[in-house]
Amino acid sequence: MASAKATAGVAPAGATPAGAAAVAPAATPMRAAARAVRRSKTAMVSVGVLLFIIAASFAAPLWADHVAQTGPFTNHLTDTVQIDGEAVNVVSLDGVPIGPTYQGRYFLGADGNGRDLMVRLLYGGRNSLFIALVSMTFCLFVGAVLGTIAGFFRGWPDAIISRALDVLWATPVILLGIALGVATALGGLNLGFVKIAGDSLWLPALIIGVVQIVYVARPIRSSVLSLRERPFVEAARAQGFGSIRIMRREILPNIVTALLVLGPIVVAQTVAYEAALSFLGAGVQRPNPSWGTLIADGTDVLTSAPHLTIVPGLVLAATVLSLNLIGDVVREALDPRGLVTSGDGPGR
Amino acid sequence: MTRSRITTALVALSATAVLAAGCGDDKDTGGGSEGGSATAEVKSGGTFTAYYTSFPDYMDPALSYTQEGWTALWTVYTPLLTYKHAEGAEGATLVPGLAEAMPEISDDGLTYKLKLRSGLKYSDGSAVKANDFEHSIKRVLNLESGGSAFYSVIEGAEKYQSDGKEDADISGITADDATGDITIKLAKKDGSFNFYLAMNFAGLVKGDTPFTNTTDKPAVGVGPFKLEGVQPGRGFKLVKNENFTPLPDTPEAKADQIDVTVAKNARRQAQDVIANKVDFLQDPPPADQLRELRTSYTDRYKEYVTNSTYYYFLNVDVPPFDDVKVRQAVAYAVDERALARVFGGLLAPSCNFLPPGMAGFEKVDPCPWGDPNAAPDIEKAKALIKEAGAEGESVTVFGNDEDPSTPVAEYMSDLLNQIGLTAKPRIVEGSTYFQTIGNQKTKAQIGFANWFQDYPAPSNFLFLVDGASIQPTNNQNFGNVNDPEINSLIKTANENPDIEAAAADYAAVDRKLVENPYVLPYGNRKLTKITSERVAFDGLLWHPVYAADLTTLGLK
Repeated sequence: MASAKATAGVAPAGATPAGAAAVAPAATPMRAAARAVRRSKTAMVSVGVLLFIIAASFAAPLWADHVAQTGPFTNHLTDTVQIDGEAVNVVSLDGVPIGPTYQGRYFLGADGNGRDLMVRLLYGGRNSLFIALVSMTFCLFVGAVLGTIAGFFRGWPDAIISRALDVLWATPVILLGIALGVATALGGLNLGFVKIAGDSLWLPALIIGVVQIVYVARPIRSSVLSLRERPFVEAARAQGFGSIRIMRREILPNIVTALLVLGPIVVAQTVAYEAALSFLGAGVQRPNPSWGTLIADGTDVLTSAPHLTIVPGLVLAATVLSLNLIGDVVREALDPRGLVTSGDGPGR
Repeated sequence: MTRSRITTALVALSATAVLAAGCGDDKDTGGGSEGGSATAEVKSGGTFTAYYTSFPDYMDPALSYTQEGWTALWTVYTPLLTYKHAEGAEGATLVPGLAEAMPEISDDGLTYKLKLRSGLKYSDGSAVKANDFEHSIKRVLNLESGGSAFYSVIEGAEKYQSDGKEDADISGITADDATGDITIKLAKKDGSFNFYLAMNFAGLVKGDTPFTNTTDKPAVGVGPFKLEGVQPGRGFKLVKNENFTPLPDTPEAKADQIDVTVAKNARRQAQDVIANKVDFLQDPPPADQLRELRTSYTDRYKEYVTNSTYYYFLNVDVPPFDDVKVRQAVAYAVDERALARVFGGLLAPSCNFLPPGMAGFEKVDPCPWGDPNAAPDIEKAKALIKEAGAEGESVTVFGNDEDPSTPVAEYMSDLLNQIGLTAKPRIVEGSTYFQTIGNQKTKAQIGFANWFQDYPAPSNFLFLVDGASIQPTNNQNFGNVNDPEINSLIKTANENPDIEAAAADYAAVDRKLVENPYVLPYGNRKLTKITSERVAFDGLLWHPVYAADLTTLGLK
């Protein structure tokens, strides 16, 4: 019985968590998800948009050095730029930044400090995506570990973890994120063995990861509660395998499907949370750009320089929408009955 | 002296239309007035509406320490001394308020004698008594008001405060209700004491006014208006005081009533005043509506340079700014024109620490670090950093999250990187910013700082750079400036009750601050006056201490 899950990484029929019955027995969840995405035009367009945004963000230094010829932190308050042969102030005497020029320099305009918005948008994308990736990884890993321990051992480990998750669940995510963000923004995080500077991107990444753990841990716990009663787990126990080995070799491969379903949805939420926290000053610390801080920068000049808010807002919306659309396709393929994302999951 | 640090939106500021000497740039935007009283014809009567962005901290003269509070309460609670209801330098002139004349000061500068005018009445019709002055000061001390430090110089005031007994006597104040004589003895000389007597804190309230915050049920006072309908957080009404007999320099109110409403959204405020839905705005409109107002509403929009100073502090106790060459390098590199743009044009570039229009202001001209209205010398700055051996040294530039502090700190951070240092900004939450940089343990190297006057005298600015005011916490001398020569000049000047006579000393301090340089002043903030079409715009005075003079708000 142990070999059944070990060979394919997918539990036998009836053993899959969260009703992943739609997955063909021969396909790994990963392949099934990829196939579903390939078959969906919506998902493929979303993947294209996402890849474009990722590629553009990673190309930020190239754009900055060779096209815009300025860095993301460089102020140009008193500089001028040539437009149609005329020298135009990057920031007007009354403080209004230039709008999109659709040329190399200030392609999307400038912010209030005369910084090139396109450059900051691209660097901001790197920061936002970095945070999203780290948060998602942290959240999925810790959530999976906690959910597995709680579901597998039950008893007091389950009681402690579940109550802790209940507390997290009952706390408004944004408020908790703001509280943690503001508390650590100045002095950073110092836990003795872990020290993170207040302006480090790791800090908002971990904060967002922490506040989202509950969305992963609870559905994983539910899946494991079901899995631990399955015959192949009982068989493993009968063979004398220890708990760690059973969790690693019998349970873990069977929650991969759930993690694949949760992944895109969690990362979409992470991008949105990062933007929200940074917008409120509790996420990415200035002058580091992120889509949230860029939107915040534009709110004071919404009428005269709407591009400052609109452009990062559109990129943020496109990213979150793409991730959600991909997530929907993956969920429909791997979790058609919505068991992973129902009730406890992030899709509620 | 400890008191509330002043920030743009919330803390006590006194704005001013300033002398022409420092306001050349204002002409384009209708800036600084030459001073003088209202000459425009203003009709009396009518009910007006006004927007405040924030409700005043308190509607109690003993406690209020915000611009919002001061603007309103000045018209309700007149002190023994007050200011002329006029613009510019004339408005900064001290005149008798409820006192018959300016105080007689003894030769040793320790005793002040005043006499209360006869026949004065509070807004409820009851008579004003000389002993009400002592009660008013007791409330300031007993309630531990932010203004209590001003009156601790009175003999016995510190004991009264430490004993904590409401009914105890302040030994330095004696008053005779029968004659109206009031005598104040100081524990030490203080040349600014007349200004303290003119502050809102010393506005007279009745002798039975409780020793509690009276915001919910405001105390009666003597002034052109009385307070009614106070709804904390929402608004209040200034209603014409029918029991007020105009004083020689305090006329009666033009308006019958002013309804003040708190409206948080600055954009909505501007739209409403443009559309004549509201008559007056207390706070400046958002930056992106300034251009429209400046070009299309010149008949009801005007900017005024305030008695304020915006500067970067440089901590002379902490590397690399303990090296004068590094400080000079930064001074050469700062571009005041760039900072004016950060302020949306609401900044008048300056090289002085003292604001123009202030006694002791002598324009440092030429500015040793280059013309504030011209491009900076970045190459010279780089050379000085190299000469000082400070290349690559780490610097944290402090700023807070309130506009315009954040972009100001980010600008400086970028600038320091340009000249060879390794800088990054650190943005601290606004409500804790000044405590953070005022704590010596923070070792803040450089950062945003500003100050708006509490009263129009240099002493109110120069304590920010006085070695005697350095403290381990709540330090207002953020750069730990402690130059013996400057300290001595400040001490001598502050003890002189004749500010004009002390002006030369103040000017010398200002020059030394700039030349060393211990601080990097870059300008004076402008504020705005904007009204609806029906308001007699030119008649509404912009007072140097209290911003809009609401007693002059009237119809065309």
